[in-house]
Amino acid sequence: MIEILQWATLAVCGLTAIARVPSLLRGENRSPFYIFALMTLAILLSIEAPYVVIDQALGGINLANLLLRFVIFATIFFLGIRVTKGFGAEGAYRLITGRAGMIVLLAISVAMVAVFFLMDTAGSSAGLVGPARRDARNAVLVEYYGAAGRAYPSYISLVLLPAMVRAVRSRLPVLVRIAAGLLALGGVAIALSLLFPFIPRSWDAVEFVVNYTAVLCFVIGLALIWAARVQNGKSMGRQRTSTEK
Amino acid sequence: MILPAKAFQRWLQGIAPDASTADVCRVSGIKRTTLAQQLVRGKVSVTTVVSIARAYSVNPVAALAYFDDYRELAGPLPPPTRCELISQISTPDLLQAALARPAMDPAGRPRPQPPALSPAPHATSVKNWVDAIDDGEVRHRVSAATGVAPQNYSAQLTANRLSPELALATSRAAGVGPTGGLVATGLITEEEAGWPPGARQAALDSMSDGDLTTLAGDRLQALGKVLRRQEQDQAQTEKIWENLG
Repeated sequence: MIEILQWATLAVCGLTAIARVPSLLRGENRSPFYIFALMTLAILLSIEAPYVVIDQALGGINLANLLLRFVIFATIFFLGIRVTKGFGAEGAYRLITGRAGMIVLLAISVAMVAVFFLMDTAGSSAGLVGPARRDARNAVLVEYYGAAGRAYPSYISLVLLPAMVRAVRSRLPVLVRIAAGLLALGGVAIALSLLFPFIPRSWDAVEFVVNYTAVLCFVIGLALIWAARVQNGKSMGRQRTSTEK
Repeated sequence: MILPAKAFQRWLQGIAPDASTADVCRVSGIKRTTLAQQLVRGKVSVTTVVSIARAYSVNPVAALAYFDDYRELAGPLPPPTRCELISQISTPDLLQAALARPAMDPAGRPRPQPPALSPAPHATSVKNWVDAIDDGEVRHRVSAATGVAPQNYSAQLTANRLSPELALATSRAAGVGPTGGLVATGLITEEEAGWPPGARQAALDSMSDGDLTTLAGDRLQALGKVLRRQEQDQAQTEKIWENLG
C-alpha cells in the first residue's frame, strides 16, 4: 500500500515535470519545471530502492538522506517564493526571503547537519531506519534530525497558509481557488508532520500518508494552476476570433 | 423557485387537457428529460411553468397565480412605480437619454434623438430595481421574512439574479406591486406584467435634467466600480499565472 503510494507520487511528479519540458524549452516560466524536478528527485530519494543505490554511490553513510533534506528545503523555498509572488502575499514573501526566513533556514540547516554528524550513520537505509535501531542514543538523534528536517517545510507552509485561505475565498477562477485549497491542505499536512514524534511507533503508516498527501496536494495544486492558465488561454483565443468576425 | 408537481399537473390539465408530456415539451421547447426529472422529484421550476404558459398563449403571470405561493399575482396588480420603471432602463440607454437633453449642451445645438429603449431586463436590472424601491431597510425585512442571510441576498443582487420567491418577498417588503422583480429578473416581460407600453419611456421623459444626470452619474460610478474590480481580479490572476502557470 505504502509502496504504491510512493511510486504513484513519483510518477505524478515525474510526469508533471516532463510535461513542463516543452515550455521549459520555449523559455517561458521555467521555475515550475525546476520545482517539479526537485520534487521528483526528493521522492526518488525517499523510496528505499533508489535511495540505497544513490547512497552507495555517495559512500554508504546516508549522505543521500542529508541531500534529500536539502532538496526538500530548496523545493519548498522556491515554491514559497513563487506562490507568495503569484498570490501577491507581500508579508509572506518577506517572511520567506527576508531576514527572518534566512535565520530560520540557517539555524535549522546548521542544527540538522550537526545532528547528522553526531549520529553513527553507516549503512544505507531510507528514513535512517537502520541507524535508528542501532542504539538508544542514535534513535533519539534520528528523531531530532527528522524533526529538524520537517521544521523548515512546516515554517514555509504555515507562512503560506493565510494567503492560500484568502485565495480560496476570493473571486479568482475556480481552478485557481481549488489549487489554492490544495496548497493549503498540503501546508496543513506538512505542519501536522511536526507532530510525528508524538505519534506511537505502530502508526508509521500515518506518517507516510501525511507526507505523501502533502506532496500530492502541492503537485496537483500547481498543475491545476497551469491547467487554469492553459484553459484561459484557449477561451481568450476563442473570444478574440469571435469578436474579429 | 419550486412549485409542487401535483399542483403543476392540475394546472396543466386546465390549460392543455389532452396534451401528453411529450406534446407539452415539443410545443414549449423544454427538454423531455428536464421535465420528467422535475416531475419525478415532485418539484417543478417556475421557468418551466412560464415556458409552457407562453407556448399555450396563457399569460405567465396568470399561470403563476394559479399556485399558492404566487396567489398575489392574481391581482388586481398595482401599476409599477416610476422608480421601478426607471430602474429597468439600461445604463447605456440612460446615458444616451442624458446626453440628448438640451441642458447637456449650453450652446443649445440640436441633438439626435436617442434610439428606442432596449427591453428589460438589463445587465444590472436586479440590483437597480432593489435599489430603486429600497427605503434603507428593505434588505433587512426581506431577510427577516424569508430567512435568507443578507450576504446571500446581496450576492444574488450582485450577480444580477434573484429567485422568484425572493423577488416577490422584496416587492412585498417594499410595498410595491409584485411584478417588478419578476420583470427585473427577466422571468416575464413588461408586457406580460401588464406594464403599459411606453411606460418606461414616459417615466424617463418625466425626469428633470438634474435627476437624470445625477442618476446617470450614479450608474456610471457603479459600473466603474464593477469594471475596476474585474480589472483587479484579472491582474491578480495574470500575476499567478506569470509566477506559477
